Amino acid sequence: MPRLRKFIISVSCLYFTGVVLGVNLRDLVPKTIVKLEDLSGKSIAIDAYNALYQFLAIIRQPDGTPLKDAGGRITSHLSGLLYRTSNLVEMGIKPVYVFDGAPPALKEVEIKRRMKVKEEALVRYEQALREGKTEEARVYAQATSHLKDYMAEDSKKLLDLMGIPWVQAPSEGEAQAAHLVKRGDTDFCASQDYDSLLFGAPKLVRNLTITGRRKLPSKNIYIEVIPEVVEMENVLKGCGITYEQLIDVGILIGTDFNPDGIKGLGPKTALKLIKEHETLENALPHLKNAEFPAEPQRIREIFLRPKVTDNYRIEWKEPNTEGVIDFICRERDFSEERVRKAIEKMLKGTEKLKGKTTLEKWFV
Amino acid sequence: MFKLKVSDAKLLRDMTTAISILVDEATFKIDPHSIKLRAMDPSRVAMVDFEWSKTVFEEYICTESTKMCINISELLKLLKRAGKDEVVELSLDEKTGRLQVKITGKYTRNFTMPTLEASEEEVPTPKLTFNVRAKATTGGLSQAIEDAQLVSDHVRIEADAEKIVFNATGDLMGATISLQKGSDTLLDLEAKESSKATFSLSYLSEIIKAAAATSDIATIEFSTDMPIKLDFQQAKEGKLMFYLAPRIETE
Repeated sequence: MPRLRKFIISVSCLYFTGVVLGVNLRDLVPKTIVKLEDLSGKSIAIDAYNALYQFLAIIRQPDGTPLKDAGGRITSHLSGLLYRTSNLVEMGIKPVYVFDGAPPALKEVEIKRRMKVKEEALVRYEQALREGKTEEARVYAQATSHLKDYMAEDSKKLLDLMGIPWVQAPSEGEAQAAHLVKRGDTDFCASQDYDSLLFGAPKLVRNLTITGRRKLPSKNIYIEVIPEVVEMENVLKGCGITYEQLIDVGILIGTDFNPDGIKGLGPKTALKLIKEHETLENALPHLKNAEFPAEPQRIREIFLRPKVTDNYRIEWKEPNTEGVIDFICRERDFSEERVRKAIEKMLKGTEKLKGKTTLEKWFV
Repeated sequence: MFKLKVSDAKLLRDMTTAISILVDEATFKIDPHSIKLRAMDPSRVAMVDFEWSKTVFEEYICTESTKMCINISELLKLLKRAGKDEVVELSLDEKTGRLQVKITGKYTRNFTMPTLEASEEEVPTPKLTFNVRAKATTGGLSQAIEDAQLVSDHVRIEADAEKIVFNATGDLMGATISLQKGSDTLLDLEAKESSKATFSLSYLSEIIKAAAATSDIATIEFSTDMPIKLDFQQAKEGKLMFYLAPRIETE
C-alpha cells in the first residue's frame, strides 16, 4: 500500500551561522519534528561549543557587532546561554552542557581551514562596514565568531550559578555527549552537527538551541526553525546499513578529520558505494581521487573508540538568583529585570517537573 | 481494505475528539471484528485505550487486519462538518493510500485525506493493582475537577471506604471537594485500603471533559502513588479508557 512518508522537513541551520561544520548526512537522515513540550522531563546533553558558536554568530546587532559589556568584553554567548537555557528549563527540559577538551590531532587541517575562513570573513566584514553595507557586514560578522577561552570559562561560571550541570570532555564534546546518552545518563544529545551520530549517539535533537523564527541571510525571508529528533535506529534502518558502515559513509563524504572527503562524492553516492562494497576499504579501489589526510582506519577509530570519560557528575540544582545577578548584571551589564524574569521561568519549570512521572515506569 | 459506516456522526466526532486530547498522529488497528487504538501522548504521561466493536457500526467491512495512521485533528475538521443525524462512511482507497470520508445527509460530501506511516510501537498495559474502585457520573467528576482548577494545576485524590476527596492547594488558595459514597455523583465506592495520589489537573480536565461527551458514567481506579485508570462506560459495544501517571511528591 502506498503511504505518505512521515512529515519530514530538512532545514539546515548551518546556513545561518555561515560555517558548515561536521559531516553532511542531511539527505540520508530521517527526522521527526517535535515540540519543545514533548521533550518535557527529558535530560539532554548539549554540545556546549556548538551552542555557544550559534549564540556568538546569531546574537548581534544589525551591523554585526556582538553584544558587549561596558568594558568591551563580548557577552553574546552569556545572553544566549541564559535565555535559551531558561526557555528549555521552563519547558521541563533538563540540560547538561558538554564542553570540548583538546581536539584530536587529526582535526588540525579542519581547524586551520576554519581559521582561514574566519580571517577572510573578518577582512570582508571590515570592508563592508567601511562601505556602509550593514546587512552584508552582519553576514560576514557571523562567520568571524571566535570562541575564546574566557568565553568557555564565563559560560561554566554562569551555568554553575544557574544550577545547570556541565561536563568537561577530554576531547570532542560531541563524543562525550553521545557517551552520556549511551550510558543512559541523559535521554538525548543535542547538536547541529550529524557527527554525534558517527560517535554513536542513539538519539540526537537538532535545532534545540536556536528554535524560533530565523531570517535567512541577506534575504527578507523568515523561516521557522523547529526541533527535530534523529534516532540512530531509524537512520540505520532507513539506509539499510550498520553503524560501522555509517561511519564509512561519513568518511567518504568528509568529516572534521578529513574535511574534503572525496571530491565530487555526495551523501547518496557514498551510501550507494558502501552498500555495494560493504566497507570503505573495498570501495576505495572503485574511486578516483581517493586521497586521505590520514589512514581511514585512524579516522574510523576516532568515532568507534572516542576519547571519553566516565568521571562526571550530573545534578540539577536550584538557580542562585542573586549570584546570577551579581555576575551578569553587576559585572556584565545585563538588564536586571530581564534576568530576574528568566530565572523565574526556570523556577516555574523545575516546580512543574517535581514529582512528574511517566507511564513507562509501570510497563516493566 | 475496509469500509466503516457510522449513522451517529456526533458519537464518531466525540470519540475522535476524546482521542485527539492525547494523540496527534493516531494509528488504528482494524480487524474483521473491531477497530482499536492504544497510544500515549508524546510526553508519555497519559494513555488512551479505545475499541469499537463492529456492532457499533451500521456497516462494517474489513476483510483482513490492517493498520491505518492518520492526523487526528485533520480528521476532526472533516467530522465537524457532519450534522447530528448524518451518516459518515470511512474507507481506504488502496490505490492512493488515502482515507475517504463520505458524509451523507441533506447532501453528499466526499473528502479524502492522506494516511501516514503507521507507528510500530506496541503500547503495553501498565502493570497495576488498584486498591480503590469508584463509579461516578462524568458530569459530577467534571464539576469537581473544575472546582479544583480554580486554585491549582494539580490535585490530590484521596479515598477511604466512605468518600473520595479532591484536595487542591495553590500558591494562594486551597480547595477541598468531597464526594460521599451513595451520593448522586459517587454511585459506588470500594476501597481495600485508604489511598491517595496526585495528578495534573490539565490532563484530568481535558480527558474527563472530552470523554464525558461519549459517556455518563466512569469507573475510576487507583492506588497510592500509582497511575489512575478512568474507564468511560459506553452505550454501545466498545471501550474508552485512559491511564494517567501520577506526580509523586518527593518532600
